[in-house]
Amino acid sequence: MHLYEVLRRPLVTEKNTILQAQNKYVFEVAKEATKPQIKQAVEKAFKVKVTEVNVVNVSGKTRRVGRRIVHTPSWKKAIVTLKPGDKIEFFEGV
Amino acid sequence: MKVTREKIENSQAFLTIEMEPAEVEKSLAEAYRRLVKKTNIPGFRKGKAPREVLERYLGKESFMEDALSHLVPQAYEQALKEQQIEAIAQPHIELIQTDPVIFKATVPLMPVVKLGDYHHIQVAPEPVEVTDDRVDAVIERLRHQNATWEPVDRAADFGDLVVLDIESHVGGEPFINQKGAQYQLVRDSTYPVPGFSHQLAGMKKGEEKEFKLQLPADFPEKLREKEASFKVRVAEIKEEILPELNDEFARQLGPELKTVAALKEEVATNLKLRAEEKARMDFEEKVIDAVVDQAQVEFPPILVEAEIHRLIDEQSRRFQIQGGSLEEYLESTNKTEEQLHEELYPIAVRRVTRSLVLGKVAEEEKIEVEESEIDAEIENMVSNAGENKEALWRALGSPRSRESIRQILLTRKTINRLVEIAKDANMHAGARKEEEK
Repeated sequence: MHLYEVLRRPLVTEKNTILQAQNKYVFEVAKEATKPQIKQAVEKAFKVKVTEVNVVNVSGKTRRVGRRIVHTPSWKKAIVTLKPGDKIEFFEGV
Repeated sequence: MKVTREKIENSQAFLTIEMEPAEVEKSLAEAYRRLVKKTNIPGFRKGKAPREVLERYLGKESFMEDALSHLVPQAYEQALKEQQIEAIAQPHIELIQTDPVIFKATVPLMPVVKLGDYHHIQVAPEPVEVTDDRVDAVIERLRHQNATWEPVDRAADFGDLVVLDIESHVGGEPFINQKGAQYQLVRDSTYPVPGFSHQLAGMKKGEEKEFKLQLPADFPEKLREKEASFKVRVAEIKEEILPELNDEFARQLGPELKTVAALKEEVATNLKLRAEEKARMDFEEKVIDAVVDQAQVEFPPILVEAEIHRLIDEQSRRFQIQGGSLEEYLESTNKTEEQLHEELYPIAVRRVTRSLVLGKVAEEEKIEVEESEIDAEIENMVSNAGENKEALWRALGSPRSRESIRQILLTRKTINRLVEIAKDANMHAGARKEEEK
């Protein structure tokens, strides 16, 4: 489908930095992506070997803007386990 | 840390300090720990972000800035200790490089004062005398002050007091408008405008006159050198009657002055006291100047800057009391702040040199101020307070105020000592001259 459009962005949070120690990396992915697609996308983009992909559907939150009620979009979170020894470097420069 | 020192004149030392990477690392780590607690990064609880994330979020420069702001003062202190330099004020620090960290500090040092041979200064005191005509002049003035004014019907002449109504305007704007203004005619007076008194001379009671006068160049900007039209009406003319110089006049001035002779004595005594006081102050000034000229002083320019600031502060406070302000003064005299600084520079230098020399003299002569003397001085200042005595006592008794009182007393004592020395030297020199004769 759209191999380069699968991965949207890496997710940098407290929990994820801990996961990184276990060689797991978390991305926000396209809502329509499937696990095999994600696996391919990561392997292609970062030149690493992916052993496992787990996926979470995150529902958007309902918020109030002024007087209106607004929904934040839902998205899909993928945690990708790499073969031991592979690494992805996020933190280059600003 | 590598410190190189170059000593330059004006009592300042230049230090070049280079930091080792290990120390810089440590400082960066500390900076991280400090910053992370305060910064809120999305996705992380406060204080839980790892270092790289924080760096990416804040930017490497601000990291470095924070690290330096803590590292530099510390390094500076250590450098001072190593080099055994005594600084008297904050240094001027310039960062030259960040990798490796090198910075330059300009350290103001203790001023160095070398006194001359102040024991042999010869300053001759001015003789004080009060002449009879000075006394007479004062008595004349007293007569004028206590004069009465009698209304007369003749034409106004110089020396008279006129009551008049003035209407005037300059260029369409109203200038002086007063009813019943009392004005004393003085020949060639420039108040309010030159020529005004001449226009009034010869006018009779009830007369009205219109005239135009040119405003001189030293009037404020808006009115300078414009033409003013005046319309005045003389309501009354009064003549000055001087009181007779007799015993009754003397008694008027003071119940214990029974005769004119007593009055003259009183005036003479007052004049003498004031002349003596002035002579004493002049003598002090001369002595101090002589000592200061003899001495060699070196001091960092920071002291002069601080003194200039203090002088400007004093001046602006004085303006505020008068209702003006520093900006208005600058405008009216067409100066800028820098020019003011420059003008005050020599005065400030003089002041700083003076206080340094006096301090050194006090050290040499081992002049000290006892606690009891400070207490006595405070008592003196409080004695006029009345009901707020307690509060004033406490306020003046604070360590800071005691310190400043101590300084004042110390200066006074030093000056007195110098005056003594000078008088002694003078006498000895005079005695020696006598012997040589």
